[in-house]
Amino acid sequence: MAKEVLKIVNLSFAYKKNKDIFSNINFSLFEGEILGILGPSGTGKSSLLRLIAGLEKPSEGEIYYYGNEISGKNKFLPPHKRGIGLVLQEKVLFPHLNSLENVKFGIKGSKKDRKEKALDFLRLLKAEKFSQSFPNSLSGGEQQRVAIARTLAPEPKLVLLDEPFSSLDKGLRTALREETKELFRKTNTSCIIVTHDREDAEIMCDKVLKLEEGKIMEALFSS
Amino acid sequence: MLTLNNLLNNFWKLIPIFCLFIFISPLIFVLGSLLGEFNDNWSHLIEYVLPSYVSNSLILIIGVSILSLILGVGTAWFVTNFDFFGKSWLEWAIILPLAIPPYILAYTFTGLFDSYGSANEIVRYLFNLESSFIFFPNVRNIYGAIVVFSFTLYPYVYLTTRMAFLNQSRSLMEAGKLLGNSTRLLFFRLAVPLVRPAIIAGLALVIMETLSDFGAVEHFAIQTFTTGIFRTWYGMYDLSTAMQLSSFLLIFVAIFIFLERSERSKMSYSYANSTFKKTDSLKLVGLKNFFAFLFCFLPLFIGFILPIIELLNWAVFFPSENFLSNNLISTLFNTIVLGVTAGILCTIFALLINFLKRFHKSWLLDFSSQLLTLGYALPGIILAIGIIKFFSFLDKSFINLLLEVTLLGSLIGLMLAYVIKAYALASNTIESGFLRINNSIDDVSLSLKKTKLEIFFKIHIPLMKTSILTSLLLVISEVIKELPATLILRPFNFDTLAVTTYIYASEERMYEAASPAIMIVLIGLIPIIFLSKIIRDSRPGS
Amino acid sequence: MLLNKSLPFLIILALFGNLSISSEVNIYTSRHYDSDSKLYDDFKKLTGIEVNIISAKSTALIERIKSEGKNSPADIFITVDAGNLWKVQDLGLFTKIKSKKIDNIVPTRLRGANNEWIALAKRARVIFYNSEKFTSDDLSTLNYEDLSSSKWKNKIAIRSSNNLYNQSLVASMIANYGEAFTEKWARGLVNNFARKPQGNDRSQIIAVANNEADLAIANSYYLGLMLSGKKGDKQLNAGKKVKILFPSQNKNGTHINISGAGILKTSKNYSNAVKFLEFMLTEDAQKHLVENTYEYPINTKVEPSKLIAQFGLDFKEDDLDVANFGKFNSAALKLMDRVGWQ
Repeated sequence: MAKEVLKIVNLSFAYKKNKDIFSNINFSLFEGEILGILGPSGTGKSSLLRLIAGLEKPSEGEIYYYGNEISGKNKFLPPHKRGIGLVLQEKVLFPHLNSLENVKFGIKGSKKDRKEKALDFLRLLKAEKFSQSFPNSLSGGEQQRVAIARTLAPEPKLVLLDEPFSSLDKGLRTALREETKELFRKTNTSCIIVTHDREDAEIMCDKVLKLEEGKIMEALFSS
Repeated sequence: MLTLNNLLNNFWKLIPIFCLFIFISPLIFVLGSLLGEFNDNWSHLIEYVLPSYVSNSLILIIGVSILSLILGVGTAWFVTNFDFFGKSWLEWAIILPLAIPPYILAYTFTGLFDSYGSANEIVRYLFNLESSFIFFPNVRNIYGAIVVFSFTLYPYVYLTTRMAFLNQSRSLMEAGKLLGNSTRLLFFRLAVPLVRPAIIAGLALVIMETLSDFGAVEHFAIQTFTTGIFRTWYGMYDLSTAMQLSSFLLIFVAIFIFLERSERSKMSYSYANSTFKKTDSLKLVGLKNFFAFLFCFLPLFIGFILPIIELLNWAVFFPSENFLSNNLISTLFNTIVLGVTAGILCTIFALLINFLKRFHKSWLLDFSSQLLTLGYALPGIILAIGIIKFFSFLDKSFINLLLEVTLLGSLIGLMLAYVIKAYALASNTIESGFLRINNSIDDVSLSLKKTKLEIFFKIHIPLMKTSILTSLLLVISEVIKELPATLILRPFNFDTLAVTTYIYASEERMYEAASPAIMIVLIGLIPIIFLSKIIRDSRPGS
Repeated sequence: MLLNKSLPFLIILALFGNLSISSEVNIYTSRHYDSDSKLYDDFKKLTGIEVNIISAKSTALIERIKSEGKNSPADIFITVDAGNLWKVQDLGLFTKIKSKKIDNIVPTRLRGANNEWIALAKRARVIFYNSEKFTSDDLSTLNYEDLSSSKWKNKIAIRSSNNLYNQSLVASMIANYGEAFTEKWARGLVNNFARKPQGNDRSQIIAVANNEADLAIANSYYLGLMLSGKKGDKQLNAGKKVKILFPSQNKNGTHINISGAGILKTSKNYSNAVKFLEFMLTEDAQKHLVENTYEYPINTKVEPSKLIAQFGLDFKEDDLDVANFGKFNSAALKLMDRVGWQ
């Protein structure tokens, strides 16, 4: 049986005291699995990802990563020690670095290794053509390709994607969706995709959860 | 649990907090006067003079606010949106008046416009008029002071506003145009409300500097709150009441800042993008072209060219051998070293504090760094007294027990004064620099296993090059002009250009003051010209 | 230039407190005249004692001395108003100046009660008038008190009440005639102002030269400066039009103020400090003072500058103890507030 990558136990989150965004959420993610979380905006989908990445602290509950507690009552592992990959909807490439440097940013190792690895990942995402270009000269789709390459380059075991394709137009979206899925499969990367778009979830995910009114439930469809 | 390792990891957090504590201490010593007794002099003050001090100060800041808004926002709007005669150089030359301290403009104004001043003499000569004929109105009054402060300080409004106009989402403006708004309507309905936080940030600096000034208002013999502070101290030998008055001044400014902040937090304040494309600037022709040129040239002329001409006039006709022969080199050296050191210290400190604020929402940190920005509004000499009291406390309670040295009268005191005085300039600039960096960039970097410190050095600093340089240069140009605190805190035989100028100017020996004053302007021009270059380079699309 | 080479070194030292060179005297002064620095150089040449200077506003300097306490590096405090000397004495910061030489030169009226401080030079606060408009006979009997008479309505130029010299003048009136009388007088005087108080003493004199006012109240030495030509032809020509009148000759005499100095209790170079004060009273030093600042000398062997002596020397001085200026300074300021003297 596949290893349990992530286990969420009784997780609650509130921005302000007594104003729960969601409460008592439980689910697990297994190795190689692509999990979708579907729901209208404002239900706390992004907050859930931020909790897993370590950018916020939960008000209650625990998060286990490969069996180790990373968020809990007396335990909190800071985000830079978790190394959970993150892809956001907004274009957040470092504007002062070119594509290659952006991808190199998270890779460790010798100068040569880093460059080669970065180029590999740019190639994987068909972005090697603009490795020397700066973000402000790239289109939205190109930027998102570089951003995904940047996230995957350090080879994280878990990647979180927050509405990754929502700002792209339809054709681009379909293409990138397929390619990304393929890539995750190839590298056996586990992944959580948050989206409000049913199609995203249906095409990409092994399993889909629905987050609504602060509760999580299995979605009706499953592939 | 707090282990040694933990402590070391937090070291970089503790240092700025410790510094912050040191820096606000002199302010606390000033504010502490409020806990002391309010003596009989208060009833005298309230009955006879306080109402006029307060009303004069209010008239002054209201007048200065209105005029510097018109000048600062107006020029910023013209140079960002239109093409007109002289724009390419006016765009950066507009900030040159920053090199002229208000007190020097005040001195040259009386030199020009007094009944027998140069300007009146020229008019009489040109039109062959009687020597009793006086063409220009008297400037030694509150209106003269409003003009002096506005024309030396409007560049602060120009700098912040122009930056905001440039960052303004282009599509928003285009949407406005498509909806059929005229450019004028667009200015008042859309552009200005959108950049209001930036305008107010610049205006806050103008108001604080106006309130803290002593030199110019004293020269014009206007009884403001600040001159009242000095009168109480010098004339009644009553320092504690003077410090209490200063504390009320600080509280007034604090309320103003608080209102502005809470107002600002109500509106979501975001710069659309870190990258922007060139807005098409409209080419002006004919009368409009001329008007735009005049509108941008006038502040430069009154705030910079005119005083330079008058200073040169004095310096050429009455060369001050003493100044030029004696200490010019060491005075120059002192001024530059102090300016650059303070600039670096202040900027690094503002970077650290604002970086901490980005990751740790702490009201204490917020409050104390806000308190420190008040230092800008404190008259220099009262700040100096706060430092003297703080140092003598430190000297007596710690330092002397350990070492044979005293902090008082050391350069550390001067540095402290400059950092407190100029922190607002650095912090305002750095803070808006941080605001322009999307928070998601931090999130992504963290997920790429980078520590916050790595993010600071590899992402924030490179992205904020412009803000850092701007902060550095603003602080340097402020320190070069700083006077009252330098005067009292300096070590033996230690002169700066401002001190040398003041020593002459305080006795209205303007001719002797002219040479060092020109030096101040020249040295002050160096950072300003760098700043101008930044402005030129930040033109979108180029 | 030695100074420039050693400067970085000096700065490093200065960073860590005050330098201390074996033979030195440290002076806090609120007199910032260029000409004084030549005296400091001369003193060093003569004695080999280094002179270190900080110049700033006297009140701020007093505060600094007070706060420095026993660590204060200051040996001598020099200022241009007797009120300030009194203030330092009142705070108990001065020590007695023990010197026969000084005792012989400085009259007791121009010293602290126990020799805490001494005068280095004198100045008179006098009336200036336009010689094209008045003769000395017209005005010879003029007293300070007469300046409140409605005869002079809109005719008098005087600077603002922020100015220490004015505060001292009013303080001396209070000491001589009491507060009630002085308040009535000051109210009358304010009514007679030709214009809102502005500028320094010199601009009052220029106002008289330009007929913007009939009488100006200002310190005597300003006219010397103007007549010296050092300030340009414009001021020289204005100076030539005015003359000095010494008021109150038939009453208490003309108001005199001093430039003075005292030695601080915490002084670590007491004997150097005494030497310095003795030096400042020598004929050479006094000569230099009067020829450059146009003040009146303390050493009677020295003549005032001709530029200022021409207006008379044997005038009657108000022999009120100058310490009163300090004692009544606060009262004077409040009084001026009450009568609306800006």
